[in-house]
Amino acid sequence: MRITRTLGPVLVVLTLAAAACLPGGQSSQQAAGGDGATAGSEAATEAGSESFEGQTLTVWDIYPRGAESEVVEQLNSEFEAEHGVTIEREARPLDDLKVQLPLALQEDDGPDVASVNQGQADMGTLVESGLLLDLSQFAEERGWAEAFGENLLERNRFTEDGSEFGTGNLYGVAPIAEVVGWYYNKAQLDQAGVEVPETFEELQAALAQLEEADLTPIAFGNSEGWPAIHTYGAVQHTYTDTGALDDFIFRRAGASFADDGSVEAAATVQDWAEQGYFTENFSGIGYDASWGQFAAGEGATMLTGSWISGELDQQDYGFFLTPGRDGELPPQIGGQGVPLAVRAGTDVPELAKAYIDWMTGERAAELWIEQGILPARVPESGAVEEGTLLADIVGAWDTVLEQNQLGHYLDWASPTMYDTLTSQLQALLAGRAEPQEFVEAIEADYTSAQ
Amino acid sequence: MTPAPSGHAGGGRWRPYALLAVPAAVYGTFVLYPLATTVRLAFYDWNGIATPVVTGVGNFVELMTNGRFVPALSHNAVFLVFYTVIPVALALLLTVLLAQDRPVGGLSVYRVGLFVPQVMPMVVVGVVWGWIYSPVNGVLAAVVEALGGEAAPYLGQVSTALPAVGMVASWVQYGFALVLFLAGIQRIDRTLYEAAAVDGGGRWDKLRHVTLPGLRSEIVVATVVSLIAAVRVFDLVFVMTRGGPSDSTNVVAYEIYRSAFLQREVGLAAAGATVMITIILALSLVVIRYGEQRD
Repeated sequence: MRITRTLGPVLVVLTLAAAACLPGGQSSQQAAGGDGATAGSEAATEAGSESFEGQTLTVWDIYPRGAESEVVEQLNSEFEAEHGVTIEREARPLDDLKVQLPLALQEDDGPDVASVNQGQADMGTLVESGLLLDLSQFAEERGWAEAFGENLLERNRFTEDGSEFGTGNLYGVAPIAEVVGWYYNKAQLDQAGVEVPETFEELQAALAQLEEADLTPIAFGNSEGWPAIHTYGAVQHTYTDTGALDDFIFRRAGASFADDGSVEAAATVQDWAEQGYFTENFSGIGYDASWGQFAAGEGATMLTGSWISGELDQQDYGFFLTPGRDGELPPQIGGQGVPLAVRAGTDVPELAKAYIDWMTGERAAELWIEQGILPARVPESGAVEEGTLLADIVGAWDTVLEQNQLGHYLDWASPTMYDTLTSQLQALLAGRAEPQEFVEAIEADYTSAQ
Repeated sequence: MTPAPSGHAGGGRWRPYALLAVPAAVYGTFVLYPLATTVRLAFYDWNGIATPVVTGVGNFVELMTNGRFVPALSHNAVFLVFYTVIPVALALLLTVLLAQDRPVGGLSVYRVGLFVPQVMPMVVVGVVWGWIYSPVNGVLAAVVEALGGEAAPYLGQVSTALPAVGMVASWVQYGFALVLFLAGIQRIDRTLYEAAAVDGGGRWDKLRHVTLPGLRSEIVVATVVSLIAAVRVFDLVFVMTRGGPSDSTNVVAYEIYRSAFLQREVGLAAAGATVMITIILALSLVVIRYGEQRD
């Protein structure tokens, strides 16, 4: 689509150089020249796209499931048709992919483009080992910072030696965005006479009121442990600001987790568990089962990420952000989804970059929205039907970006933080750890990773 | 060494070695070399990609002091009970009830029925038991509630998660032991039981003096196999709890997986694997020695 005036000629030259080395390269070279000549005002674009003719791109992504996979398949086939290239796609869950990538990216026939998990343990290690291509220059040419927001791209940045997170070269950009907030069942809120809360105090009151109305205030399943990271993080975010959060996650000097807000947040979620606000027996219920129940009408709210929006009824459910203590919007957990990155040793770097640009472009945003999924590129207003769940989510996302209140997944703070948080939160919610002990355990992990 | 008497001059002497070469190469490539590499890596700091850096015994020190490995090891010790003690004891009891001093009828039914859990992939077993234990529409919860009790998230609370996973292991293992014992007891000379009866021996004496000695080799096999399974258990834990809640079901093999693939601390994982292999070898040797001594 937007294959590029500036880059078109460069691509042609590159492809010609490559084609000259390959048997049969002659014909595609001629084809490229011929088409380019016929095309009037879009000549550069045409020449640019044609120049990939016959190339093959291997892509490993993390969208094996229903709606997401459909979008990717559709985008892939449009990309193939436009550029005359072949995409060899493999889709597997993130957990599998991240185990295989370090080895696969060292191979000459490894994936040219792959979904690479953010954070020090994954992307950081790959950068440190020189396995990912720096996309900074390309991002500048395409105006990614403007399209996605520089503070979002920051999370895909590392210094070249992989040692510093949140600064330096850019190694990826994601097709979809995520924001964690409160889904709510409109009928059940009405039934209990509860309005969408504007402050954290109102939220607390609403939960109590839902409980009194014999509803499950918060649909929750925590057998995997990570859903609680979002629950706790959202509450903890109401006690802090984006500056402190950035310092904490990017491990800047003097950052610490041990403050009153962290303790009070821990006390709050522990209280929610004790009050019976969460689904009964939540510790034995898996995440998928929990949103399945919520989608089937069990649970008045659910505090989780925008990624399940495609699975809920667009009319019956709404979405609001965690309200602040003073009514001002506190930081909200979210950011880009898992970014697509390019293997450093790829034979087709320009095609790979063009592919990422396409997967994160406007056409992609359109298709993601059709499936009820929040795209990373903020869509023009009017692209989403009013009154739907997705409209709520897109609106919330816009608000977060406008007010510059993007928070963080707390488990990025150290390579072992995911395990520490899941384990400690399970203890906290089971009443086996006091809020103070919980915070001390997190701080101990944080400082030991220095 | 005497030259081989067979016809081909020169060839005969090397022939056994030539024949051994292929299996030795396969064994060396796929067993010994990886094993040696694992042990060597245990002394390095390595993220799986960059050049490994020697750290000496640093990884082993970290294992002992990081507060994760030792608890994991203790959970393996609990699994020894569920993988070995309970199944072997239960299988012995059933064998005695079914077969002591009388021929077993319908043996093939037992074999098939009891062996099914052994044949099922552990991942399938884990998923199915995960459903059974689920507080949402789980069979166990339904039964407990029908009996007037209150269902609990068995896999989700620290007090019950380890035994809940352990029971599944017992369920899988006891059939294997029972099939072994039922086969073994057929070999015991019937006249020994008659002699015991003539001497005034009761059920207990028959068990102690005839059945147990007669089944010794089967007991050793069942014990060794299930001990190894207990020390290296991974699949059930991975599928059912991922080591949770609060690491209460974390075991050595899961900790190794976590270090190697999630934290990218391959050296630490190799050190854990080295400890695990050592424990398996030591336990197996002890049991086998014990079995031999009694012969």
